[in-house]
Amino acid sequence: MTALAALTERVMRVAMRDDLPFAVLSPPVSFLVFNFMLNNVIDTGGMSYPQYVLPVVIVQVIFLGALTTVDRAARDVRDDFGDRLRTLPISTVTPMIARMLYCLFRGTLGLLAAIAAGYVFGFRMFGGFGYAVAFAALTLTLTLALSLAADAAGVLAEVSRSKTASSGGLSQLLLVPQMLLVMLSTGMAPVDSFPDWLHPFVRNQPISQVTQTLRGFSAGHVVVSNLAASLAWCLGLLMVFGVIAVRVQRRTQ
Amino acid sequence: MIVIELDGVAKTFDGAIHALQDVSFFVPTGSICALLGHNGAGKTTAIKILSTLLQPTAGHAVVAGYDVVREPARVRASLGSIGQLAALDLELTGRENLVLFGRLRGLRRKHARLRADALIQQFDMSHAADRPVRNYSGGMRRRIDIAAGLVVLPKVLFLDEPTTGLDPRSRRDVWDLVSSLSTQGVTILLTTQYLEEADLLSDSIVVLNNGRIVANGTAEDLKRRVGLGYCSVSPVNPADLATVFAAVADLDGAEADYEANTVSVRSPDGVATLGEVFRRVDRLGVELADIALRKPSLDEAFLHLTGEVTTT
Repeated sequence: MTALAALTERVMRVAMRDDLPFAVLSPPVSFLVFNFMLNNVIDTGGMSYPQYVLPVVIVQVIFLGALTTVDRAARDVRDDFGDRLRTLPISTVTPMIARMLYCLFRGTLGLLAAIAAGYVFGFRMFGGFGYAVAFAALTLTLTLALSLAADAAGVLAEVSRSKTASSGGLSQLLLVPQMLLVMLSTGMAPVDSFPDWLHPFVRNQPISQVTQTLRGFSAGHVVVSNLAASLAWCLGLLMVFGVIAVRVQRRTQ
Repeated sequence: MIVIELDGVAKTFDGAIHALQDVSFFVPTGSICALLGHNGAGKTTAIKILSTLLQPTAGHAVVAGYDVVREPARVRASLGSIGQLAALDLELTGRENLVLFGRLRGLRRKHARLRADALIQQFDMSHAADRPVRNYSGGMRRRIDIAAGLVVLPKVLFLDEPTTGLDPRSRRDVWDLVSSLSTQGVTILLTTQYLEEADLLSDSIVVLNNGRIVANGTAEDLKRRVGLGYCSVSPVNPADLATVFAAVADLDGAEADYEANTVSVRSPDGVATLGEVFRRVDRLGVELADIALRKPSLDEAFLHLTGEVTTT
């Protein structure tokens, strides 16, 4: 327990100096960019654009936040510092759990910052407290799932460093699928704004499902099939990436 | 009591590279053992196996009474390990690193802070303790790194090339520290490429070459194995060197080194050889700058021992 607290405090301390300001500022900034660029361009039916777009802003921030874990994870297994961690009388997964606690903390801050910015432009949690809690819970589940994936990627990249690109290059590379998923989702625009042949992909991919559920939570009513799909995606990814991350961490031993 | 024991330890990488082969030695409680060898001799591999970072391909290793493969957690709880590079979080300050490692070794926050303060004093780091390690010089990193390995005084301490890249003063500091730890009962296994270091610090020396032990004993043992010493003569005028050499050329192992302006002769009989050489040279009427009986340096012993292996 002491070890986990000490390691979590360490991640926080270091992040306070470089990562946290970015974690708080990037949600309002990307919200403003999306809102001003697309506000009058996209027809979202009865819903105001800030109300429509805030969930995808949050999902985008989660993705970018997860990518910062790649480098932190790599740093913890690198060279002699990693060796020293591994020769300490602590569990192999403790450093990883500490990194994940930081990710959840970072995610919570980002979520709050995004909602605060949204409120200024008319976004509201119409559903009340219960739905707001559900909104946060789904967001943080996705945060954890993606952070675990990024963590495993960082550790793997570092362990096989001689053969592949550096972790810095890796997090750049992982930006590409992330951008594509956000662009080709119903997060920024309803499905009708995409060409017909793309509809099946756009409609069913996880970001579309999750952002739709988040919009539902903020409005106060969700479609059950959509909620089921979002939960399946988030919990499924959490399980899969969780198992992979722990395995990868053990393999460094 | 024996604190570190290796029995037939071997490590093979990728099925082809034999980093260690049939390595057996032991280190008694409170003593200092030096693993001596060139780069690639297998020193770091041995340390990594003993600190549970690598598993041996064959053989057994026991540290503080626990098998490194079967009870790695217990081994880790008894050891401190200091690697070749600074194993620190570069983004944290020196003090924060020490507190972190203290807490990771199970100290309460307050206790860890007090211990960090004490170590900063002991290692003379007060001026830099609150700056990020990233901005430290190599010597300062080394000091904080060693301090981090001592936050909780371990039973067994592994030091992998502790003085590589240090200036002479810092090296002397590390030597003093290692000696004082040993008197406090810490068993120390260090690796080094410096023969002087092994000679000065350690109670026993294990010489590794290409993953095999080529010699094992005290510094004196090793020197004795190589030969009893030699007698060297230097004339004041280098022009006389050839004359001096001619006078002793029939003696065992006679050699002239024109660069060093010295003629040397193997001296299995010690002082008797010295007397014989002196009588012969004295007859020549050559003025001498130096004549002496020398024991082989550990350097020579080392070259001799590793040479033995590579030539046979």
